[in-house]
Amino acid sequence: MTRVWDLAHGRSGDKGDVCNMGVIARTPEAWEVLRKHVTAERVKAHFGDMIKGSVERFELPNIRALNFVCRGALDGGGTLSLRSDHLGKVMYTWLLHMEIDDE
Amino acid sequence: MKSVKLGTGLAFWGDSIRPAIDMIERADIQYMCCDHLAELTMSILNKQKSRNPDLGYTTDIIPFLRGVLVKARERGIKIISNSGGSNPESCTRQVVKLCEELGLYGTKVACVTGDDIMDRIDELLEQGIALENTDTGQPLAEIRDKVTHANVYIGCEGIVEALERGADIVICGRVTDAALYLGPMRHELGWAKDDWDLLGAGTGIAHCIECGGQATGGLFSGGWQDQPNLPSLGYPVTTVFENGEAILSKTPQTGGSVTPGTVSEQLVYEVMDPANYLTADSTADVSQIKLEQVAADQVKISNITGKEAPATLKVNMGYRAGFVGEAQFTYTWPDAVKKAKAGLKFLEERLRQVDFKASDTRVEYIGRNSMWGPELVPDPTEGEEDLKEIVVRFAARCPTKEDARKVFTESVPLYNNGPAGASGIGTRPPIKELYGIWPCLIPRELITQKVEITEVVRKDEEQPA
Repeated sequence: MTRVWDLAHGRSGDKGDVCNMGVIARTPEAWEVLRKHVTAERVKAHFGDMIKGSVERFELPNIRALNFVCRGALDGGGTLSLRSDHLGKVMYTWLLHMEIDDE
Repeated sequence: MKSVKLGTGLAFWGDSIRPAIDMIERADIQYMCCDHLAELTMSILNKQKSRNPDLGYTTDIIPFLRGVLVKARERGIKIISNSGGSNPESCTRQVVKLCEELGLYGTKVACVTGDDIMDRIDELLEQGIALENTDTGQPLAEIRDKVTHANVYIGCEGIVEALERGADIVICGRVTDAALYLGPMRHELGWAKDDWDLLGAGTGIAHCIECGGQATGGLFSGGWQDQPNLPSLGYPVTTVFENGEAILSKTPQTGGSVTPGTVSEQLVYEVMDPANYLTADSTADVSQIKLEQVAADQVKISNITGKEAPATLKVNMGYRAGFVGEAQFTYTWPDAVKKAKAGLKFLEERLRQVDFKASDTRVEYIGRNSMWGPELVPDPTEGEEDLKEIVVRFAARCPTKEDARKVFTESVPLYNNGPAGASGIGTRPPIKELYGIWPCLIPRELITQKVEITEVVRKDEEQPA
C-alpha cells in the first residue's frame, strides 16, 4: 500500500473559508504517480464532510507540486470556525495519509 | 546587474524578534521588511482603537525597533512594516517617540494611509459600489450594521513614494504582504509600475519570504528531522536582481536550511491558482517557477512572470458574528470513554437547564480526533476499556457573550457532581468574540494612498508652529 506521504511532503493554510493544500513530489517518478492518482475528485472524496464545497487542482510542474484549493473547508473560515485546527494548518497531513493505487 | 538585498524581520504579529536581531547584526541587507497582519488581525486592532483612539496598531513594533533600530540606522538599513494596522498615524507617533528616546535624530519616519474605507462605506454604496460578498454574492446590507472594519489591500506605491522621499522607516496599514517587499524592489531596481512580468516576479519572490522561517526550514514536513538548530532558525535574506530573479538565503550562522524543498513548501502556502496570484500590484504567475540549489543554503528563484494587476482591489472587511464558548475536561481509566460520554451528556443537560442558545456546537476528543476532526476520524468507543485517559473538548458558537460564558460555568460542576474522576477543567477561559470576514472588491481608482513623513528632531530644535 502506498500513501501520498510515501511520495510527497506538503503544507496547508487558510484564506477565508478556503483551505489550500500543496503537496510536493519527492522524485520525478513520484510526480508522475501523484499527477495520475491524486485527482481533485479523489481528494474531495477523501475529505468527505470536512470539505463542503469544491476541490480544484493546480500544477506547478517545475517544482513537481500539486495545489488543491478546497472551498467551504474551514467551518466558515479561520475567524469563525469551532475546530481546534481552525486555520487548517494540519489538513494537508490527512491528504498525506491518503492511500493511492500504484499499479 | 542591479540588485537589492531584503531581509525578513517579522512574519506575523507576536513573532520573535530574535531572528531579526541575528540578521541586523550578521546579514548583508539594505531593507528589513515586517508583516504583522493576518485576516483576523484588523478586527482585533479596530476593536482596540474603538476603546482607545491611541491604539489599533500592532504594539510589537516597539520592542522590535528597540532591538534593531540603533544598529539599523548605523548600517543604513531601512525598515518597512505594516504594523500601523488600523491606526498607522498613532503607530508612527509612537515610533517617532522611540526614535527621540534613542537619540536617533534625523530619522525620517513615513506613514502610509489610504487603505481604511470604514467611513466611506455608505458613500460607496450610494455611488453604486455594491461591496457584495464575492464568495456568496450576498449584498452588504445583510451585515452592514455589524461591520467592524473595512480596509483595502493596497499596493506598494505609497512605500515607493516614501522611499523616494528618503524615508528610513515606513509604517503602513493594510498594504499587501507582498507590497512590503515589492516597494523596495521597485524603488531600487527601477521597475515600472506596469512592467507586469517584473512585478509578477517580485510578487512571487515576496510570497516566498514573507512568512519568515517557513521558507528556511521551519515547519518543513519534507524532513523536519534534518533541520539543524531550529531554536535558532535564521530568517530569509534575499537578493533580488533587476531581471526578476533572486537568490534566497538566510542569516549566516543560524539554524534551519534553504533548499528547493523548504522554499517549495512556502511557495504553495496560502496560494489559490498559482498562474493567477492576484495582488494589488500585479497578477503573478508562479506556476512555472524554477528553484535551484546554487550553493549551501542558497536557492535561485527564476521563471516567474506576471500579468496586469486586477482592476479591482480586495477589501478586508470584518463583521461581528457572535461568541465562542469552550470547555475541556479529562477522565482516566477505568471506563474513561464511558465517563467522558456521560460527562458530555451531563454538560449538555446542564446547558439545557439554563436556556443555553447556540447556533452550532462541536465535540472533539483531544489526542484522538481534534485535528482531523470527527468528520474523518471516529470518536473513541466504549469498547476501548484499556484507554488510560481521554480529553473532551466542547465548543459552541453563541449569539451572546452570556451564552458563551455558560459553557465553562456549566462544565465546572463536573468536578464534584458528575461521573467519577473528572480533572483538567482548568481556569475560566476568556470569551472569544467571533468575526466573520466579508470578502468584497472595490475599483482601484477609488483608492488613493497618502504618504506623510516626520523627521525626528531634538525637542529644543522644534520651531513653534
